[in-house]
Amino acid sequence: MAQSSSATTHNKFVDHHFIDADQQLDTAKMGMWIFLVTEILFFGGLFAAYAIYRIWYPELFAEASTELDRIMGTVNTVVLILSSLTVALAIRAAKLDYQRQQIIYLAGTILLACVFMVIKYFEWTHKFHLGIFPGEFYAFEGIEHPKAPIFFSLYYVMTGMHGLHVVIGIGLMIWLIIGASKGKYHSQYYNPVEITGLYWHLVDIIWIFLFPLFYLIG
Amino acid sequence: MDLHHIPSKKQLFAVGGGLMVLTALTVAVAYIHIPSPFNIVVALLIAFGKASLVAAFFMELYWDRKFNSMLLILSVLFVFLLIGLSLLDIAYRENLIATF
Repeated sequence: MAQSSSATTHNKFVDHHFIDADQQLDTAKMGMWIFLVTEILFFGGLFAAYAIYRIWYPELFAEASTELDRIMGTVNTVVLILSSLTVALAIRAAKLDYQRQQIIYLAGTILLACVFMVIKYFEWTHKFHLGIFPGEFYAFEGIEHPKAPIFFSLYYVMTGMHGLHVVIGIGLMIWLIIGASKGKYHSQYYNPVEITGLYWHLVDIIWIFLFPLFYLIG
Repeated sequence: MDLHHIPSKKQLFAVGGGLMVLTALTVAVAYIHIPSPFNIVVALLIAFGKASLVAAFFMELYWDRKFNSMLLILSVLFVFLLIGLSLLDIAYRENLIATF
C-alpha cells in the first residue's frame, strides 16, 4: 500500500498504531466520511419532511417562498462557494508547506463564514420583526394559507441546523489557525486541515440544496 | 489513486468558477417560471451538478479511494429511499390527517 514505507515508518508525525502516514491519512479521511454519512442522513430526514409537506401543500410553498429574499439567498450562496474555495486553497497550502498562505486562507474562510451568518441574522430578524416565528408563535398576517407556519417552521429548522453547522465550522477553523500558527500542519501531516475541509464542503453542499428549494422554486 | 494529490490553483479556481456559473444559472431559470413540477426537477439537477463538482474536486473524491465515494453515494441513495417510500405513501392517501 505505501510506496515509501521505509521513509515513513519512523515518521514522528505518525501515531504508533498506524503502519505509515498514508494509512493514518486514509483512516482519518474514512472516519470523517463515515461521520459525513450520518450528517447526510440527518439532513435527509429534514429534506424528507420538506418533500412531504411540499406534496401536500404545493400552493403554500409557492406563496410563502416569496417572503424570502432571493438576493440575500444568492449572495449567501456565492459567499459559501467562495469559502469552500478558500478552504481548498488552505489545504493546498498546507500540503505545499506554505504556512502563511494557509493561515490567510483559513482566516478568509472564517471571514466569509461570518458574512454568511450576518446575512442570515438580518434575514431572520427581519422575519421576526414581521411576526414570522416558527410553529405556534407564528403571528404574520401577510399570507392567507392556513398552513403558513409549517413552511416557516421547516425554513427555520433547516436553515437553523445548517447555520449551527456553519458556527461549528467557524470554531474548527479558529482551532486550525491556532495549530497552523504553531506550524503543526505541513506536507508531512495535514490531516486535521484535510478532514475539517471535508466537513466544510459538506456544509456548502447542504446549502446548495437549501437555496433553490426555499428561495427559488415557489 | 493519489492520496496526496495537490490540485493546482488553476484547477481550484476553475471549479469555483463553474459553481458560480451554475449558481447564476439556477437563479436565472427561477425567473423564467418553468411550470411545476419541472422547475423542481431543473433546480435539483443543477444542485446535484454543483454538489458533484464540490464532492469530486474540492473534497478530492476524484483522486481518493473509491470506498469514500461509495460511502457518499450509498448515503444519498438511502436518503432517496427514505423520501421515495415516504412519497409513495403520502402522495396516494385519500384524506389528509386534519392536524397535519
